[in-house]
Amino acid sequence: MEIGSGVRIGPFEVFAPLQPAVSMVRHYGEHHFPGRLIVVEGIDGSGKSTQLSLLHKWLESKGYGVVFSEWNSSPLVKDTTKHGKKKKLLTPATFSLIHSTDFADRTERSILPLLKAGAVVLCDRYVYTAFARDVARGMDRDWVRELYGFAVKPAIAFYFRVPLETAIHRLLDGRDGFKFYEAGMDLNLADDSVESFRMFQGRILSEYEKMIPEFGLTVVDATLPIEVQQAQVRQIVKAHLDKANELRVQA
Amino acid sequence: MRETYGRLLPEMRLGDLAGKLIVIEGTDGAGRSTQIDLLRPWLEELGHAVVDTGMTRSPLAGEGIRRAKEGNNLGRVTQALFYATDFVDRLENEIVPALRAGFIVLTDRYIYSLMARAIVRGMDPRWIRSIYSVALKPDAVFYLRLGIDQLLPRVVFSRGFDYWESGMDLYPGHDMFDSFCSYQAALLTEFDRLSAEFNFQMVDAAADARTVCVHLQHNILQLLERDSRKNFMSRLYNDSTTAPQPALQEKAPDRAKQPADATLFAVANPASTPPSNGNGHHHAAHHGQ
Repeated sequence: MEIGSGVRIGPFEVFAPLQPAVSMVRHYGEHHFPGRLIVVEGIDGSGKSTQLSLLHKWLESKGYGVVFSEWNSSPLVKDTTKHGKKKKLLTPATFSLIHSTDFADRTERSILPLLKAGAVVLCDRYVYTAFARDVARGMDRDWVRELYGFAVKPAIAFYFRVPLETAIHRLLDGRDGFKFYEAGMDLNLADDSVESFRMFQGRILSEYEKMIPEFGLTVVDATLPIEVQQAQVRQIVKAHLDKANELRVQA
Repeated sequence: MRETYGRLLPEMRLGDLAGKLIVIEGTDGAGRSTQIDLLRPWLEELGHAVVDTGMTRSPLAGEGIRRAKEGNNLGRVTQALFYATDFVDRLENEIVPALRAGFIVLTDRYIYSLMARAIVRGMDPRWIRSIYSVALKPDAVFYLRLGIDQLLPRVVFSRGFDYWESGMDLYPGHDMFDSFCSYQAALLTEFDRLSAEFNFQMVDAAADARTVCVHLQHNILQLLERDSRKNFMSRLYNDSTTAPQPALQEKAPDRAKQPADATLFAVANPASTPPSNGNGHHHAAHHGQ
């Protein structure tokens, strides 16, 4: 698929072919690093982090070298993001850019080298979070996709699908309201943080739905019991890793 | 009406940006900040409100970038995006509001330096152009060009070699001098390419600062005279100037088409001076000297 200024998305294992400095990203597509990238996506309260943590334990018990990377956690960038959120300096555009900067640092510093080293890399939220949130904030859909053109394409991207009201009940169970940006309060959708959250996350959900076919997300019904979801997740991951091992033996 | 390079940020209205956006570009050591320090008081004396801005000055990301560069472990993609964050923060919160209020915005570097640095570091030119497609097209880009031979003594005998200005992240095996030469040469090549694409007005930065400034003033005045508020402004100039025409004048157009290493503004020939439009801008050009 060709979009915008002609950055290719789709047939490559990565979203776009960057040149020399990140050419190893292309090599990942062409030569297959020994590692595997597995990511979870979904709105807040979908239970994705719980599922990823259970998957993490299981993979370790099977003897895989597993590394976990969380959205918005770069040691180089996260203080700037925190500063921007605290002082409410962020617009939709700078919100988008500072998160892509954080993601770039984690990609360059850990995700890519770890995949080369053969680790199973687990990411709690990935580029799809940015695609959903930034577009919900009014950013151009193609611009955001091109912005993340350097990202490695995951082997499996789970999407934990949950109705909005279920997520809100889960989240409000332990606290009074939502944080400013989490609820999309910067968009002035509503005065009340719960109402704003509902409207903002509603937009995000509809972006996720569009991305299921666009990026081939693996949908998990996040209203099912935790154990049932985890059994599905493990089965899918196992099938993928078995296949990868077979390929490695043949090579 | 003002335009962007292709894409519009949310809530960015372009209809009422009455001010002027003037970019001073050039490699490290070309004298950009010296020129801005000269231009700002001169413009203010003429009655224009001026905002000046430059890289890493955003309240959002400036400090974060400085901290990240201290460690020398800032990756190339991360670096490109951190600078883009800084730029867009200043674009939305500083440049656009100032233009809307009718200010002249003088910016020390713009997206071109950021694109050149990223491309030299191996980023896909299409990728970096896509990111900066949200930037405003400026009213003028003055490219202060300096060859490596002229740049070297300025660096060696003033501040010395800097890790990032020498591109040490790109050539880790080199010593600082070799790295500096390779990096700055690559940047110059990229700048020359961008110059044609984005219609830079080339300025020979090897000349002394005063000569460069007179040249810039001349071109900026031409730009301001094309302003829709011209009648008001010409009254302003006539009021504030009494000096005779300056000796140094030359044709402004066609700069970008000249070979990069040519002498770009030799001694002026009064015969080749473009006709004055009679509202006194030449007087004004002389005023701040």
